[in-house]
Amino acid sequence: MNLTNSPELLDRVAAAYALGTLRGGARRRFEAMARQNATVRAAALIWQERFAAMTELQSIEQPGPNVWKRIENLLGAQPASANSPKENAMLEKLRRGLGLWRGAAVAAALASVAAVVVGVNLSREVASREGQLAQVRQQGLQLVAQNAQLAQRMQAMPQIQYVAVLANDQSSPSVLVTFDPKRNMMTFKRVGGFQEGPEKSLQLWALMPSGGPKSLGVLGTQPMTQMAAAEGEVKQMPMLAVSLEPKGGVPGDKGPTGPVLFKGALLQTTI
Amino acid sequence: MAHDLQDPKLIALIDCIAARQLPGVRAGEAEAALRELYDLTSSKLYGVALKVVSNRDWAEDVLQEAYLNIWRIAGDYRSALSPPMAWMGVIVRSRALDFRRRRASERADAGLELNDVITETVAGDSPDPMDTTQASELACALHECLRKLESKQREVVSLAYLRDLSHGELAEQLKLPLGTVKTWIRRGLEQLRGCMGRFA
Repeated sequence: MNLTNSPELLDRVAAAYALGTLRGGARRRFEAMARQNATVRAAALIWQERFAAMTELQSIEQPGPNVWKRIENLLGAQPASANSPKENAMLEKLRRGLGLWRGAAVAAALASVAAVVVGVNLSREVASREGQLAQVRQQGLQLVAQNAQLAQRMQAMPQIQYVAVLANDQSSPSVLVTFDPKRNMMTFKRVGGFQEGPEKSLQLWALMPSGGPKSLGVLGTQPMTQMAAAEGEVKQMPMLAVSLEPKGGVPGDKGPTGPVLFKGALLQTTI
Repeated sequence: MAHDLQDPKLIALIDCIAARQLPGVRAGEAEAALRELYDLTSSKLYGVALKVVSNRDWAEDVLQEAYLNIWRIAGDYRSALSPPMAWMGVIVRSRALDFRRRRASERADAGLELNDVITETVAGDSPDPMDTTQASELACALHECLRKLESKQREVVSLAYLRDLSHGELAEQLKLPLGTVKTWIRRGLEQLRGCMGRFA
């Protein structure tokens, strides 16, 4: 069965696939083909989307008033009952956020390339009209300039390679940690509402696999604190922790003297 | 059309739910957004759930799971590139299908309970039960094309999709010969292909 040679057959099989009536071996073969071939994949997606629209056509029915109450209760219960899932969700969120951020910049760059191409095609059509042509060229040049700017901005973006969410016993995130190897910089961001008293400081510790905890310094009272750190060091830190210490922190060689308020694993990101 | 105004509103609400874990966003805002999303869409999505599981209590369970799911995965909406109602409709259908599968494996008599309702549905109390209020452009096209099918073909095609049923399962549940179901589906799909092709 060579679907790519017959648009008619491809459309028929893709429709049956999306409807769900294509089953068994035929379905698996179609899926394998779709993975290999973008035309097959596109045909399947078109039909999936068409049938998905069927969910928009069902009649309107009123659910009972208790449904929302149940949803609301479960929402309230989620942060308390979910322990590490919340932390994971936070990390996932962060990863996704970073991915999207880059994605958006790439998309914007591509869009300006596309706009330049459109500009060029446009310019052919209006070749006789000099004024407009000049305008289109001008726009094209502007877009090229924007493109260069975007490329520059992407270059300047931090390359986040490690992240940690430091959380308390109730797993509520309090400090977000990222490491940018390009700038050899660790960034600590306060995300919870925790505020130490005026006589106290929050001290950061790296819990090393061997030897005692290593002091990284004291967290500033401002929302964000940055510290220089070499990639080689960061790589060796499996866990980070924050303890409550007297104002200014304690000497690093004896480890924390106050309670450990937040801790979390430092994870290498995949992006 | 209604959806021209409705869609940006729904998208903004989904975005607001997705943003709840970013620093500086109050948790209450996201919950309020989910509430508003629920008020705007639950009756439509309940209709979908009901069509798939054909029992009001079960459909309410499905609806509850679906909104909690939307709450969890709101961040994925942007990459789905779908109209908001279609995206949520697919979530409700998946949750409803999960529910049917669980139910079917838990209870041997589940088939019996379903059959009564399905027979009733296929008999079709109204010739055109579908509702295009707030439907996307694509949904309106699908509606037009489905309307042109014979009513039994339309029902079988709709049930095949919404309940994810094979030819054999459809034949069994509708108490029709397998050959008849296959023919209706084939003819229905052929006509649908021709008709939808004109809207592309």
